[in-house]
Amino acid sequence: MEQLISTMLAEGVPLETILLLLLLPIVATFIAFSRQVIGLRGFGMYTPLIISFAFVETGLRYGLGIFIAVLLTGTLMRFIVRKARLLYFPRIAIVLTIVALVMFLMLLEGAMSSRTGFISVSIFPLLIIIILVENFVAAQIEHGARAAIILSIETLIVATISYYLLTWEELRQFVFQYPWVILATIFINIGLGRWTGLRLAEYLRFREIFRHVDDAREE
Amino acid sequence: MLAKNKMILGMNARNLSYLRPFNTRAAIAIADSKLVTKRVLEKAGIPTPKLYGVLEDHRALRHFDWSVLPPSFVVKPNFGLGGEGIWILFGRNKQGKWVRARGETVNFFDLTSHISTILDGHFSMMNLPDIVLFEKRIQMSKTFKPYSFRGIPDIRVIVFNNVPVMAMLRLPTKQSQGKANLHLGGIGVGIDLATGVTTTAMHKQGWFDQKVDRSPDSKLPLSGIKIPDWDTILEMAIACQNVSGLGYIGVDVAIDKEQGPVVLEINARAGLSIQVANLASLRERLERVRGLKVKDAPHGIRVAKNLFGGQVEKEIEELSGREVIGLREKVTIFGKEELKADVEAKIDTGADRTSLDRDIAEELGFADMLTWFDTLTFPHIIERGVDARAFLKDVREKYLGQHPDLTEIGLIYSSHGMTVRPKVQLTIRLSGRNFVTNVSIVDRRNLRYTLLVGRNDLSQFLIDPRKV
Repeated sequence: MEQLISTMLAEGVPLETILLLLLLPIVATFIAFSRQVIGLRGFGMYTPLIISFAFVETGLRYGLGIFIAVLLTGTLMRFIVRKARLLYFPRIAIVLTIVALVMFLMLLEGAMSSRTGFISVSIFPLLIIIILVENFVAAQIEHGARAAIILSIETLIVATISYYLLTWEELRQFVFQYPWVILATIFINIGLGRWTGLRLAEYLRFREIFRHVDDAREE
Repeated sequence: MLAKNKMILGMNARNLSYLRPFNTRAAIAIADSKLVTKRVLEKAGIPTPKLYGVLEDHRALRHFDWSVLPPSFVVKPNFGLGGEGIWILFGRNKQGKWVRARGETVNFFDLTSHISTILDGHFSMMNLPDIVLFEKRIQMSKTFKPYSFRGIPDIRVIVFNNVPVMAMLRLPTKQSQGKANLHLGGIGVGIDLATGVTTTAMHKQGWFDQKVDRSPDSKLPLSGIKIPDWDTILEMAIACQNVSGLGYIGVDVAIDKEQGPVVLEINARAGLSIQVANLASLRERLERVRGLKVKDAPHGIRVAKNLFGGQVEKEIEELSGREVIGLREKVTIFGKEELKADVEAKIDTGADRTSLDRDIAEELGFADMLTWFDTLTFPHIIERGVDARAFLKDVREKYLGQHPDLTEIGLIYSSHGMTVRPKVQLTIRLSGRNFVTNVSIVDRRNLRYTLLVGRNDLSQFLIDPRKV
């Protein structure tokens, strides 16, 4: 395996690509774990995963900044666009326009105050975070504003922890040295896939029942 | 708390242990489409709200004949989930606008653009193009009117293996904008399966489900509401399971003023909050029902009532501190020297005192005293006109204390006058409670019950004449 990786590197496959590819199953497993055992829902698997990779590109500080700016714009736009009562796709397009404009202004501000770290962020991670607004608006329509914010916060938590996994130097070293270890995630996921216990969030959700059953037992 | 992991049905366990094995893809497809559900249920004779029209696509919307709709109707996305995208229109105002639950008005353009959004698949589960249904608006039955805000309450029944395992009443609130869905702020009220009477209630407040006693809007207490047509609702829920083929099903029933109970929808992924409303574990109930051979709906209802009923009784008992008993109860009587007898007693609120058959009294070790009492030389039957009180006083003075088992002498009134009877002290266990009392010994040989429990001994009980 080491031989294979050396060959790939020698032929010009970037190290970061190999590392991120090897870390992907670990992050995916972590997201599966947060759903099945902790009970964080977020916007599915794709969104938190891709946002954590975008964070690696932008750095956590700017990544979070963009994320929050996107959500704030999305929330504000809700009040404006809702009044106009538009169909779904045009509505999303308008929200995206405004978000793009906000990004533009943020970059402008970054350029004025020479935040080189921020203004040199490449377009793709930026786009990935911007497109989050569709998830957000869809959640607003389907589940209401409150649920949309909760889901976004959950996504943010999962993506941030995933970011730390992706940038954890020891973990990077480890998967680089023992790439086959990622196959172990399959077994972890089989375990998670058969886990029928309560999620941590459900202990909170059902706490009234626990309290009640406790009372009944004591009698 | 982690030790209680197995007690409550969580998402993981529901999906893996119940949805996967018991809900086939074909059955889920029926439940997920309100239109298919309607057709399948109607074929089986299960009532559903009347359908006014269907819009399959944007073209159908452009050519739709709006005159088929009455002023008041409901717009529903066919593949909708959790009540989202449903518009209830109560009627048209003078300007010709439709009035919605919160009093807000919508014009023709608003309605058609909402319908377009539905058709685009916005409320459908997979975001695929959807179909729009126009249905009759259910009219509130009198029972629920004071408890619900604008919308229509419904009754969710979870059926597994032909047995209704748990049920709740869902009440729309101001917060839920007239919708009965719990995550939107509706109230879930647990229902005792045996009686169809509501028990405990929960309401989502902020992040969490909270136990509530009263409706936040009307302030009325939420327990003790009797659901009308309860057995019909249970039968309908079981029938829905049979025709849909869903092994684990949540059936939503509404009660229309004219039509009576109608099935609003069936759910292939019934939620878990019903456990909070009932403060009971679904997991435990499902496991008790799993694998039982249940032959038909009446059998399933009997099983449900026997296994999962009695919450109301338990609650009354908790509140009053008294035991709920029926008119006939099995009791144990403890006599002398650890002698005891199990008999069926009649609970007789028409009698003051408790009386016991002589044969049983003899079995319990009082034969000696009774024989001695018979030999006493005073008239055991008093004719009318004799001063009973003076007579009794006289007899008591003479004989009380003459035999250790004789604790009192009393009069029993009957058609031919009064009979003087001896009393003995006994301990009686009724419905798990023991009490000590003086019991008249009488000849009840020709009567059905050998023990009659009278008012004086019933102070710690509540009597439910239907309980058997």
